[in-house]
Amino acid sequence: MLFDTWHLFKKYLRISLRMPMWTIFGLIQPLLWLLIFSALFGGFASMPGFPAASYIDYFLPGVVVMTVLFGSSWSGVSLLRELTAGTVARMLVSPISRTAVVLSRVLHSAFLVLLQVIIVLLTALPLGAHITTQISFILAGLTAVVLLGVAFASISNGLAIMLQREEPLVMIGNLMTLPLMFFSTAMVPQQFMPSWLQYAAMFNPVEYGVQAARAALQANPDAGVFWPAAGITALFAIAATAWAVSAFKALRD
Amino acid sequence: MIKIAGLTKTFPSGARALAGVDLEVKPGEILALLGPNGAGKTTAVRVLTTLCGFDSGHVAVAGHDIDVEPEKVRQAIGYVAQETGVDYFLTGRENLTLQGQLYRMTKADILARSAELGEYFDLTTQLDQLVSTYSGGMRRKLDIATALIHRPKVLFLDEPTLGLDAPSRQSLWQYVRRLNTDLGLTILLTTHYLDEADKLAHRVAIIDNGKIQVIDTPDALKDTIKGDAIILEVADTQTIPKLQYVLANMADVQDIRIDGPHVHVYVAQGATMIPRLVDATRASGAEIKYLTFARPTLDDVFLRYTGSSMTRKKDGSEPNAWWKQWAGKGGGKWQKQWQQDQTATETAAAPPPEAPWQRWQNQGDTSDGAPSAANSGTWPQQEAWRDAQTSVPDEARQKAWPESQHWQSDEGGPKTKASWKQTGKPGPHTKD
Repeated sequence: MLFDTWHLFKKYLRISLRMPMWTIFGLIQPLLWLLIFSALFGGFASMPGFPAASYIDYFLPGVVVMTVLFGSSWSGVSLLRELTAGTVARMLVSPISRTAVVLSRVLHSAFLVLLQVIIVLLTALPLGAHITTQISFILAGLTAVVLLGVAFASISNGLAIMLQREEPLVMIGNLMTLPLMFFSTAMVPQQFMPSWLQYAAMFNPVEYGVQAARAALQANPDAGVFWPAAGITALFAIAATAWAVSAFKALRD
Repeated sequence: MIKIAGLTKTFPSGARALAGVDLEVKPGEILALLGPNGAGKTTAVRVLTTLCGFDSGHVAVAGHDIDVEPEKVRQAIGYVAQETGVDYFLTGRENLTLQGQLYRMTKADILARSAELGEYFDLTTQLDQLVSTYSGGMRRKLDIATALIHRPKVLFLDEPTLGLDAPSRQSLWQYVRRLNTDLGLTILLTTHYLDEADKLAHRVAIIDNGKIQVIDTPDALKDTIKGDAIILEVADTQTIPKLQYVLANMADVQDIRIDGPHVHVYVAQGATMIPRLVDATRASGAEIKYLTFARPTLDDVFLRYTGSSMTRKKDGSEPNAWWKQWAGKGGGKWQKQWQQDQTATETAAAPPPEAPWQRWQNQGDTSDGAPSAANSGTWPQQEAWRDAQTSVPDEARQKAWPESQHWQSDEGGPKTKASWKQTGKPGPHTKD
């Protein structure tokens, strides 16, 4: 199964590398958010009780999670393309592991997202953002990012199989990304949120991704916040992947 | 090589795709599953290739029970789907390599096999180009090559020439034949092209309504239809009832069927009947615009065993069948575009799997009157192949081919009175 996953992963990566423009295009939106929100909400930081030195410091992990969501929530669209094109059937008539088909797609998606996140982080530094200098925490933060990417890519792939249509998939993808961002502390600290929104955020898996990314990447990393949040994100990723795999296996009508 | 007994399959939607299929494919044989869209061909192939489950029955491929050892079945088969299974964004060689990796072949083996297959399918020079630059025919060849990478014993071809232009079809047929004769590959192909089944297959199984209606060699099937068809087109349809009455009372006329201005007369000896028919028609007061004489084709066989003509089934009796098929996938725009493209030119563009019926109609149109380039162009090859492969070629029938094509595409009335009764009224083609 691992070899199957690896070969398919290489295939997807090769295809992505043939058109790197799309990966770069995917970056435009998060970078714009970073610029606009930092300028727009820059004053937030001077408010009493704001947890970070500057808004961009606070917002950067939020943008990172945004990059993840925007990057991985469309993974299912290309699965639909592959289903229609017949390349999936081609895989399924071979003795390849079914799990590998889903895993390779999801990992590929998460990998691209990881590259994007690294670019976002590197871009944010000259803009005045501060992140931790401890390599272990940077790696921990990136791991949380990959887990969240895996989770959303899995959901997108699972939905693609269930819906079998592009339009509703794109619609749900939209519904998934933006509201979930706003229902989290990606942009606004918890204490600035109305209480009902705080409550809603507790049930938002994205919130834990944001918490984990922030706890690990901020200038003063907080392992005590990171581990539980990363743990929940990991559980979410595992559950989502298992669901996508089972949906894919049920595809055999 | 393939054994199917009592295979049934009903989709969750309630559509019954297979209603008890029994079929045996011998080793080294090319067997064609011939049937209209929705007959169950693709479902049968998907069951055989482990892509889809089934409700009841027993299926064994290459000696392995498909339920018990699906992995072994997968190892023994190659499958070329209607849709292109090769990835457009990879090169030909990368496609071959990936497929080899999926079958867990060694690196050296994949390398050797890719080169071998590239040569076999005359793709060597294009092997390192992206598949998106390939023509439709090349893509289909690469598709078959990737399906063969692991040296399967059985090859499944689902509508292999769907959407290909005439030269590409011819060339693909050659490859399929060679695979069978050179490598002894057992091939099961599905098709809704009568000529494809006729020219390519050792045996043809006619499938309709999820059941195999009849199975035999193309020649034997055609031999079961005795006699000829004479089609008269009359100038004035008002004269038809009287004409029909007169003809029905003539000796040696076996059956009559009316389709618009066309009167199909089925007789044992066409050649000797023509003068008598012409006289009788004149005597009845009807005027003949033109007359066509045709020998039986697989369409007549189809008609006989399914109760309606294959060509007719395409566009007449099931007006919703194809619509439903592709409506699920979405794309009304596609269909119109396809129609335009097809009438404008027969290019080797990518085949939209949504509209095979359209293709069918156009096939009929091109053979209207003069023989199409495709048919006339292939006769020499085809004869040579027939000589080698099957019994003596029927010169006369081959000469009559363009006409019979014309007849098929136009109508294909029932030969026997029984089937006439089955259809109910003499003119079931007035769709409205």
